Amino acid sequence: MNNNKRALIVAENVEKVYSENGVPVPAVRGVDLTIESGEFTALVGPSGSGKTTLLNVLSGLDRPTSGDVHLDGRSIATMSPGELSDFRRDHIGFIFQAYNLIPVLTAEENIEYIMYLQKVPHAERHRRVLEILDLVGMKGLEKRMPPKLSGGQQQRVAIARAMVSRPLLILADEPTANLDSKTGSDLLDIMCDLNHGLGMTFVFSTHDKMIMEKAHRVVTLKDGKVAGDEVREG
Amino acid sequence: MKMFLKLAWRNIMRNKRRTIIAGTTIGIGLAALIFMDALMIGFKNDMMRAITGQFLGEGQIHAAGFRENMEPALTIRGLDGVVSGLRSDAAVDRFSLRVLSQGMLTSSSGVNAVLVVGVQPETEAFLSQVDDVIVRGEYFKGSSDREIVIGSKLADLLEADIGDRLVLTVAMAAGGELNQEMFRVSGIYSFNLREMDGGMAFIRLAKAQSLLGISGQAHQIALTFKDKMTGQTETDPFWGRYSRNGNEALGWVKLQPQMKSVLQLVQFAILFLGLILFILVSLGIINTLFMSIYERIFEFGVMRAVGTRPFGVWRLIVFEAGSLALLSIGIGLVLGFVLTFITAQSGFNYRGVEFAKTTLNVIYPVLELRQFLVYPLFVMIFTILAGIYPAFHGARLVPAKALRRTM
Repeated sequence: MNNNKRALIVAENVEKVYSENGVPVPAVRGVDLTIESGEFTALVGPSGSGKTTLLNVLSGLDRPTSGDVHLDGRSIATMSPGELSDFRRDHIGFIFQAYNLIPVLTAEENIEYIMYLQKVPHAERHRRVLEILDLVGMKGLEKRMPPKLSGGQQQRVAIARAMVSRPLLILADEPTANLDSKTGSDLLDIMCDLNHGLGMTFVFSTHDKMIMEKAHRVVTLKDGKVAGDEVREG
Repeated sequence: MKMFLKLAWRNIMRNKRRTIIAGTTIGIGLAALIFMDALMIGFKNDMMRAITGQFLGEGQIHAAGFRENMEPALTIRGLDGVVSGLRSDAAVDRFSLRVLSQGMLTSSSGVNAVLVVGVQPETEAFLSQVDDVIVRGEYFKGSSDREIVIGSKLADLLEADIGDRLVLTVAMAAGGELNQEMFRVSGIYSFNLREMDGGMAFIRLAKAQSLLGISGQAHQIALTFKDKMTGQTETDPFWGRYSRNGNEALGWVKLQPQMKSVLQLVQFAILFLGLILFILVSLGIINTLFMSIYERIFEFGVMRAVGTRPFGVWRLIVFEAGSLALLSIGIGLVLGFVLTFITAQSGFNYRGVEFAKTTLNVIYPVLELRQFLVYPLFVMIFTILAGIYPAFHGARLVPAKALRRTM
């Protein structure tokens, strides 16, 4: 693990309240949380505890109702939607529960998409795509469309897409939920290797015990609040 | 941009059935516009042929003021010089001299007011269609200067037939004294137009000049041009050349101003129809795009999550509208061409139908390159404009809200 830690995300007294049929529903309440570089952190808690909402706010996908979030030292309150998009493009990778590849793009094109947004030249894009597909065990399948890939294969492509731009941080929302245990375990090993080898920071929102066991830090949420924050050795 | 164009095209082809239905709907609208435009050109051409070909000509020269009162003494100033000029004028195709006068035509059974037209049969045959619509007898085939050709309605009114004697009475140019001559009916024509068939009588030019006492003079020169647009172009230098020295030269558009209004009305009708079609088509496009956006709202959330700017989403949806437009234009051009080409072979038979003081013929739709450039351009512009509202909607999605939506 990289010992030169720095605070990538700092959440200060973050609250997020939704309105459902005019009734305010607090999803996150007064959360203070700092994610440092190199972490392999799991956000755990029962359904409705605010894990996904917190992840959305931490990444700038949504804005807090009150409080503030600093992304690599910059307050999201000062960032426009376009600037937040740029920050996510360059610094944050996402892995979703339902893979969420663009179904009309091939595996290669899905991975290439982010580099295209970053204006990476075509040759370099192609090179890095092939490299990353090899890393996640998808070599030779770059021309396949997502509907022609299995769930595990799609999630591998999603991981490749999240990593290819070499982000500071990868946020994964229930990445193994739709996978069998063997596939889930294989993918988790890949992410652990990236964390150990490249110092890539991972934050998971998860119910998966395998992830909880491998995580160095487990933050427990209950009713929108941080109920526990356990840092483990190793 | 290439990635977004590729994505846009593939997105609209995701639901092929819906896209083809939407594209065909727009395409039919485009085909309808092309066909209507072609039909209106054919209609205009036929109207123009009817207006100018039946009797009016594509232009006329008179003495200034003659058209208002038809005073017999108001003959064309400097006729010889005008005729000489017309003979060498590169713009002129054909011309013919005419003498015009109000008169009374009497038979053994009746009497009727007529417009007497003195013509040179050899040149007049190129300016009017009277010789083409003779239904009984002949058009000045004999050598007698007492031949008279009348319309079928006039023949009925006077109960006259070929060979019958008619007496023509006119007022002479100098002094207004009445003069009479007897003529024999040599031909009867029918345009199926009340005015022409019931109100005109044709005699030879020299006889008309002698009857009115205006030897060597003429009241009107009817013209056709090598370029058919000359008659419609009021600013053409030809009109200035011959509108001088007390004469006026006018194109058919000025001679029949009501026809210009009719044609403008037809043009307005096309524009209005086009507008209605475009509004309907735009609503269809907006609906199609919104359905497509709502089906893919999670996908847009993912795109925003991985770093696509709001403008990128906006651009993608506008590109999808453009892709739909391209497909629709392809369908519309093929349909429009086939429909117009087929109907252009047979035409629409309106032979004998009286419309705005003319008789229509067979109307042939006319294909022009402009129809395949301008209307598709409008379809592209309108389709993209229709895509802007859904595009704004897509661009303003909050990523987290979009990611919460699942189909």
